[in-house]
Amino acid sequence: MSPARVNIDLLAPPVAHTIQRRSLYIGLVFAVLSVIGIFISPPEQFLHSYLLGYMAWLGLTLGCMAILMLQYLTGGKWGLVIRRILEAAMQTLPLMMVLFVPLAVGVHHLYDWARPEKVAADKHLREITRDFLNPTGFGLRSIIYLVIWGGLIYLLSRWSAQQDDPPVRDFSPRYKRLSAPGLILYVFAISFGAIDWVMSLDARWISTIYPLIFVAGQVLAAFCFVVVVEAILSRYSPMAQLLKPDELKDHGNMMLTFIMLWAYFSFSQLLIIWAGNLPEEIRWYVRRWVGGWQYLGLGLAAFHFAVPFVLLLSRERKRQVHRLVRVAILIIIMRFVDLFWFIEPSNHTRLLVHWLDLVIPVAMGGFWLAYFFYNLKARPLLPVYDPQTASLLEPAHE
Amino acid sequence: MKKVPIYGLMAEFDSPADLVKAAHRTYEEGYRKIDAYSPFPIEELAEAIGFHRSGVPLVVLVGGILGCVGGYMMQYWIHVINYPINVGGRPFNSWPSFVVVTFETTILFAGLAAVFGMLALNGLPMPYHPVFNVPRFAFATKDRFFLIIFSSDVKYDRAATRRFLESLEPRSISEVPS
Amino acid sequence: MDDPTQATRGSRTAPVIEPGYTFATITDKISSIVLTRPVSNGWLVGFGVGFLITMMLLYAMGYLFLRGVGIWGVNIPVGWGFAIVNFVWWIGIGHAGTLISAILLLLRQQWRNSINRFAEAMTLFAVACAGMFPVLHLGRPWLAYWLFPYPNSMNYWPQFRSPLVWDVFAVSTYFTISLVFWFIGLIPDLATLRDRAENKWAAIIYGILAMGWRGSARHWKRYETAYLLLAGLATPLVLSVHTVVSFDFAIAILPGWHTTIFPPYFVAGAIYSGFAMVLMLAIPIRKFYGLEDFITQRHLENSAKVMLATGLIVAYGYAMEAFMNWYGGNPYDNYLLWNRLHGPYAPIYCALLFCNIVFPQVLWFRKWRTNPGLLFLVSFVVLVGMWLERFIIVVVSLHRDFQTSSWGMYYPTKWDWMTYIGTLGFFMAAFFLFIRILPMISIFEMRTLLPEAKEVKAE
Repeated sequence: MSPARVNIDLLAPPVAHTIQRRSLYIGLVFAVLSVIGIFISPPEQFLHSYLLGYMAWLGLTLGCMAILMLQYLTGGKWGLVIRRILEAAMQTLPLMMVLFVPLAVGVHHLYDWARPEKVAADKHLREITRDFLNPTGFGLRSIIYLVIWGGLIYLLSRWSAQQDDPPVRDFSPRYKRLSAPGLILYVFAISFGAIDWVMSLDARWISTIYPLIFVAGQVLAAFCFVVVVEAILSRYSPMAQLLKPDELKDHGNMMLTFIMLWAYFSFSQLLIIWAGNLPEEIRWYVRRWVGGWQYLGLGLAAFHFAVPFVLLLSRERKRQVHRLVRVAILIIIMRFVDLFWFIEPSNHTRLLVHWLDLVIPVAMGGFWLAYFFYNLKARPLLPVYDPQTASLLEPAHE
Repeated sequence: MKKVPIYGLMAEFDSPADLVKAAHRTYEEGYRKIDAYSPFPIEELAEAIGFHRSGVPLVVLVGGILGCVGGYMMQYWIHVINYPINVGGRPFNSWPSFVVVTFETTILFAGLAAVFGMLALNGLPMPYHPVFNVPRFAFATKDRFFLIIFSSDVKYDRAATRRFLESLEPRSISEVPS
Repeated sequence: MDDPTQATRGSRTAPVIEPGYTFATITDKISSIVLTRPVSNGWLVGFGVGFLITMMLLYAMGYLFLRGVGIWGVNIPVGWGFAIVNFVWWIGIGHAGTLISAILLLLRQQWRNSINRFAEAMTLFAVACAGMFPVLHLGRPWLAYWLFPYPNSMNYWPQFRSPLVWDVFAVSTYFTISLVFWFIGLIPDLATLRDRAENKWAAIIYGILAMGWRGSARHWKRYETAYLLLAGLATPLVLSVHTVVSFDFAIAILPGWHTTIFPPYFVAGAIYSGFAMVLMLAIPIRKFYGLEDFITQRHLENSAKVMLATGLIVAYGYAMEAFMNWYGGNPYDNYLLWNRLHGPYAPIYCALLFCNIVFPQVLWFRKWRTNPGLLFLVSFVVLVGMWLERFIIVVVSLHRDFQTSSWGMYYPTKWDWMTYIGTLGFFMAAFFLFIRILPMISIFEMRTLLPEAKEVKAE
């Protein structure tokens, strides 16, 4: 099979365009609703909902970037068929950069440490805002994180774009050299991002494992997203031929691994804080264990861990995309619930789902998905001029 | 030797591929009481002789459930029923603390079930087995591959089965005394 | 399916087994080390040294039984001293064995096949060494069975809210599962030895241990299923063990102990030191027994990469802990950070940072990563560094806690050192015995790496 023919065969099916257009419409409609929300809801609520949506969609962007680099480092055949999906997802970062602006502007409504009257009343807040948590530092650090990710994504995309044109070039040593420090940079940046953006909602509360829960959650959500996209694309050529049950099983196993990792981090944090029972630590859980929030916590244990864990033990389920995708959708929803459980209790003592908690994330998601499918359909679904591709194409066309 | 009843006919092969091919042929020929021996696991071989379900996963599942339920019940019984004691105001049923030992007993029981279940299903330990009577069989743990048709098979016929085995072009054929 | 005798992706990556071997030559080469090779002087010296040091351990233990833990340097405020440092260190070393045998099996990393056997043996001996310390530290070691829940006339039960009891379950489960995993892996090779042995007694002993294994296809099928399931169970188990060890510290509320990142950071540190020990054993063994064809450059390099990765996770743990101590603004946490950097044990903390974080960064470079001598050195430094890390965690956190009136210093005695060095001797002696009487490389799994074994799949 000649690369020239492949190029035409391997473009995303028209459904990508349809979804892109519909996502954009949904995004626009919900964006209008969100703007209405600014005027009729308290700014605290608007910004909490906004942060929720932002962390959810940023998680997909960054999680896909992390998986891409992980795949470059470890090799393995499971990565080739999803490489373009991962790239299209991570290339939505410019959107996330723009969407960060409202958080930077609204910082005074979101965080206690940015409210002078609260800071004045608390010695620790005075110290930490002087040294670290102040709007300037917050803004500067956020720019640094976004620039770090932007740089990684720029390099990964630029080299990858060269593999859309002849001749066949092997970039794997180059990808590897970038991915090792790239993963370190990603983990450090998202760790401090998680601290700045979410953990500092309660500036007196610390947990050293907390950023890792975000890392595990982002990668998990990204794997689930990839499976959902695979499920859509696999109804059409070329993905119908490219996606092999064995590779899908690997993706399912990755979901399983990261579910367990997420549960491991989350349970360790719970057990250590619960057993220590120190007043400045336990209140994070106390707050989430009253007023209805506890049902969400139990729901997370059941549907973010137990149920998908048992479902993913089945080998056959992981080999069939229409069965695996149901688990993936469940986990994506639970990822959102998990973030909700992390963010919203700092705004409400009783469980409350505000309409903006749904509207703003949907608005962001509309734009994000439109951008994603725009990226996806712009290029062939396989890196045609990567030497590894040959091994994937051959059996499909025997 | 002449008086000893025959346990089966054994053919020796040089390579795993030959053995798998021969096993397939034998199964297709209608022989059911057959077995194959190799110095390392060959996934396709069990399929070829018509053996599909190992039964081990079920044993492990039962062991794991027993360990999980038993481990938690033990702690619950000790700390809630038999000897409740207040430790730093924690509830008698301190489930976050009990998760750890429950996890360990689950793994312990499931793991031991895997080992002993596998051995029991395989009928091991079994110090004596007729196939060891064939001197060449010592190479089954080195670099030779064997196929046996047991004399208890309904299709077994001393001469016809031997002719059939010869058609598989083995390296040698031996009669296994029982 | 990749052909493992072929270098993948260019000539720069070494194969996992050098070309030119057959089923027979693999069998002969590995089994001859056990069956026909005469006892060498080097082996005698190595085993003899290990044996003598083990005698020293027994002497130190005997004296401890007579006199009690007062002969050690432990006292209030540092009640956990060497015993717990060594316990955590040894059990961490054990982790690499299970990681190699179970996790790499699940990940279908075939390079594990030539190092899993002796890595598992290493696990067992390391866990045995580890297990001694908490028992000796009990004060009345002969009552160690009180740790297990059993109906007794005192109507007494272990306290299941205590991480120390979790430890009993975690470590004993770990030892049991590692033992059966190792033994299951040995059965087909024991059958090989049974059929190859020329000495009658050797044949009988290997025959009893092989339990009548005959390589039946049905048996292999159940065997493979059980082996995979065991690997699937051992993987979370091994992570849980060091997690539970970390709970021993983190459940308490002492600054330096009570921090939520401990579980993953302990697990990473365990794998880090475990791979260092694997390399320290593999590099001399492959040289002395001429096994360079089976334990190739590729194994050394992959192990080095695992060390690099886990070392970075450990570094992340240090960084996050230090940052949160500062960020949290708790004065006791702040003081702990200061005390580590400037207190009486500051040189040890600096040495730890050098050994665990700075020096191993040489592994970033392929040229150095593939140099066995340098790898040996890095592994040694990492083992020292990880021991120092546990010393810092145990001693520095305890010696100055909340109240200045209860501050103190910890000085190990000669009995502490004799016990610690004694376990090193025991480990060494046990390992020397192992490589003489059992195949140190899994013969049957090595056979599956040959191209002939893959032909079946090709058809």
